Amino acid sequence: MILKRLGVSVFVLLAVSLLVFVFTLLLPGDPAQAILGQQATPERLAALREQLQLNDPWYVRYLTWLGGLFVGNLGTSAATGGSVNALLASKVSASLVLMVIAAVIAIPVGLLLGTWSAMRQGRASDQALTGLSLVLAALPEFVIGVVLTTLLSTTVFRLLPSVTMAAPGTHVWDRPLQLVLPSLTLILVVVPYMIRMTRTTMIDVLDSGYVEMARLKGLPERQVVFKHALPHAVGPVAQVVAMQLAWLAGGIVVVEFLFRYPGLGQAMVDAVNTRDVQVVQALSMIIAAFYVVVNLIADVIGILANPKLRTESHS
Amino acid sequence: MGLGAAAASLALAGCGSGSQPGAGTARATGEPQRGGTLRVGMTGGGASDSLDAHAPVVTADGGRVMGLYDRLYEFDPDYQLVPGLAESAEPRKGGREWVFRLREGVRFHDGRPLTPQDVVATFERITDPDDPKTGASALALLERTVAVDERTVRFELKEPDASLVDSIAQNSMGIVPADYDPAKPVGTGPFTLGSFEPGQVTVLKRNPDYWSEPPYVDEVHLLNFNDQDALVNALLSTQVDVVGQLPLALVDVVNTDPRLHTVLSETGNWLPFTMRVDTAPFDDARVREAFRLVVDRGQMVEQVFSGHGTVGNDMYSPFDPGTPTLPQRTRDIAKAKKLLAEAGHPAGLEVELVTAPIQSGAVEAAQVFAEQAAEAGITVKLRRVDSTTFFGDGYLKYPFSQDFWYTRNFLSQTAQGTVPGAPFNETHEADPEFRALYKKARATMDEKQRNQLIQDAQKVLHDRGGYIAWGFFNQADAYQNYVGGGFGHRIGMPVCGFHMRHLWIDQEGK
Repeated sequence: MILKRLGVSVFVLLAVSLLVFVFTLLLPGDPAQAILGQQATPERLAALREQLQLNDPWYVRYLTWLGGLFVGNLGTSAATGGSVNALLASKVSASLVLMVIAAVIAIPVGLLLGTWSAMRQGRASDQALTGLSLVLAALPEFVIGVVLTTLLSTTVFRLLPSVTMAAPGTHVWDRPLQLVLPSLTLILVVVPYMIRMTRTTMIDVLDSGYVEMARLKGLPERQVVFKHALPHAVGPVAQVVAMQLAWLAGGIVVVEFLFRYPGLGQAMVDAVNTRDVQVVQALSMIIAAFYVVVNLIADVIGILANPKLRTESHS
Repeated sequence: MGLGAAAASLALAGCGSGSQPGAGTARATGEPQRGGTLRVGMTGGGASDSLDAHAPVVTADGGRVMGLYDRLYEFDPDYQLVPGLAESAEPRKGGREWVFRLREGVRFHDGRPLTPQDVVATFERITDPDDPKTGASALALLERTVAVDERTVRFELKEPDASLVDSIAQNSMGIVPADYDPAKPVGTGPFTLGSFEPGQVTVLKRNPDYWSEPPYVDEVHLLNFNDQDALVNALLSTQVDVVGQLPLALVDVVNTDPRLHTVLSETGNWLPFTMRVDTAPFDDARVREAFRLVVDRGQMVEQVFSGHGTVGNDMYSPFDPGTPTLPQRTRDIAKAKKLLAEAGHPAGLEVELVTAPIQSGAVEAAQVFAEQAAEAGITVKLRRVDSTTFFGDGYLKYPFSQDFWYTRNFLSQTAQGTVPGAPFNETHEADPEFRALYKKARATMDEKQRNQLIQDAQKVLHDRGGYIAWGFFNQADAYQNYVGGGFGHRIGMPVCGFHMRHLWIDQEGK
């Protein structure tokens, strides 16, 4: 079952690569025009197109790139003239750092608050938390980012740096304070969904017959929740967590923009602007792969957590 | 020509003296101090950023070429030509030849002396027919460059060109050594390259052996931003010391912050509408005049530049000594309607205006124009595209569109954009009278006569040209108060026209 899913995933990735390539072809303008911009004269365009091998037919360019992918070569960036691997290496790790920080904090906070809220269903604290998470969930990430910046960096309290600036040769994480605002923004975007989904799932579970049975047996509430109820909620909650993590890979674009964070999102915007097809391709593949992997993990957790599915997969 | 050796180099008073244009000067007072790192933030740029002396594209590329390289002549804050690496420039044979005498004792960053051979190699590189650089089109008349003796270079032209010195003072004409490699850029400029990360940060280091006054600061960091909000936030949280090209709408906001101030420069930067004179309906001069008459220029400057600009009179190059003062064209809806009716559009007409965020204010200008034109029965349909699309296949072909230019003098601007064969003839201008006047002016070495010819050519442009040159915008930079030495510069580039060696940091104030 897991192997079958893996096969499907690879197929999905291939389809994505072809789709993205076709879409980048549909964008008006080519890399040579994008790079030269206002300074483009026909002579300069011709010279640059020759250098960038833009005169080859599109399927030749696609297959060359796909072939490189299997040996770990993501291609050549039209904008820098260097390899895409070199261009993206530091950016992928920078984005990963941000996503890991956000995930490591958001997942336990979301699950605990969601469970806590479910246990106090209907009380004032539950209602306050539900209301707050609804408001936060309704706000787009750039609004949260702008509010946090105004509050903590530029206007009200001048505590934190508002943008990320890494000196050449250093890493973004060498100055950890710079990571606070972008990761806090991401956390505030994903946590509300996790709280709400965990709460709903837990309420369903807490209403079910086996929890009632456990309570009737006289087990302490703590044991009821963590031993009997929570395991049943893990599957659906894992799906929500996976969705939120996958969202991070895309939602990080706006956040990186806002905080000048030198990651995937910035590279993506830049590559689209310069019609740097191979970089767009590589980034799409990385993000698509992230989606696929995260969903795969969630499915596996779901299967392992659900006795019904677990036994099916054994048979 | 008035370009003799007399002019006293590029020396600018450290702190803006009264003779310099621009509304403000930096707040840090007292003696300039040595040392420190100046962090300059600007929007724009990306992975295709360049260090190449001869291929600057985005604004930040301009900062890099101005920091690393020098030109034979430069523009001073009043947009007057002053000697740079050359001490003098003399026309010979009625302008068919120009002889430049090089400054003595100039050394490249690697210690080698500047030689005439380097100058020859520089211009061969710029005009390389297999890989022409940005400046190649401005040097179309250049036949060859010859090293005459140890300090003299001769430019031989196909036709006389009075604007040659103007052309070689453009920022894409930096002098480089004969074995120049843009990957390891060596120039003679006030800064050497520390490190370069495209789209992120460029570190320029002080060149202590600079032939003129070396920079006050030890390092300049040019920081790219993708987003204006992030840039302004960085200024407010003191993560950058200077913001280049502050959006004009934010000038008043920044000035309310007691820690900050702005320096404004009046420039010849313009953001015209371009009408193709060879395409209906703009092939009729009456339609063009009607379109020019519907614009409320004062309101346009107010709305698009937040008032930080001056109105235009359908002529470019406001600082050119030949540009005449003609009666200002003002809004006249009745006359516009009458002209449109005479041209066969009694019920008004519909046009498509192609716009893109090619410069801050461009899209806004298009929107304001559409509103203003509606009153004269002109329906303007806006087609908004992104910048890359704008400069793509359709560029220079749109019947009605926009463009953006930095300050230029008349001959150099015309050579770039307003005569047949110009690389950016966006209005498809081919007026025989205009062309004849331009060519004659270019070949006239006598300044007075030349200015008269330019005046006549400008009159043609004003009467029936394809541009709606409705305004020139100021260039605004924002400084932390502890940064001293900032001054206005008419060239239109940010941060004192990128003459960053004059800036200094008050370490105590910081």
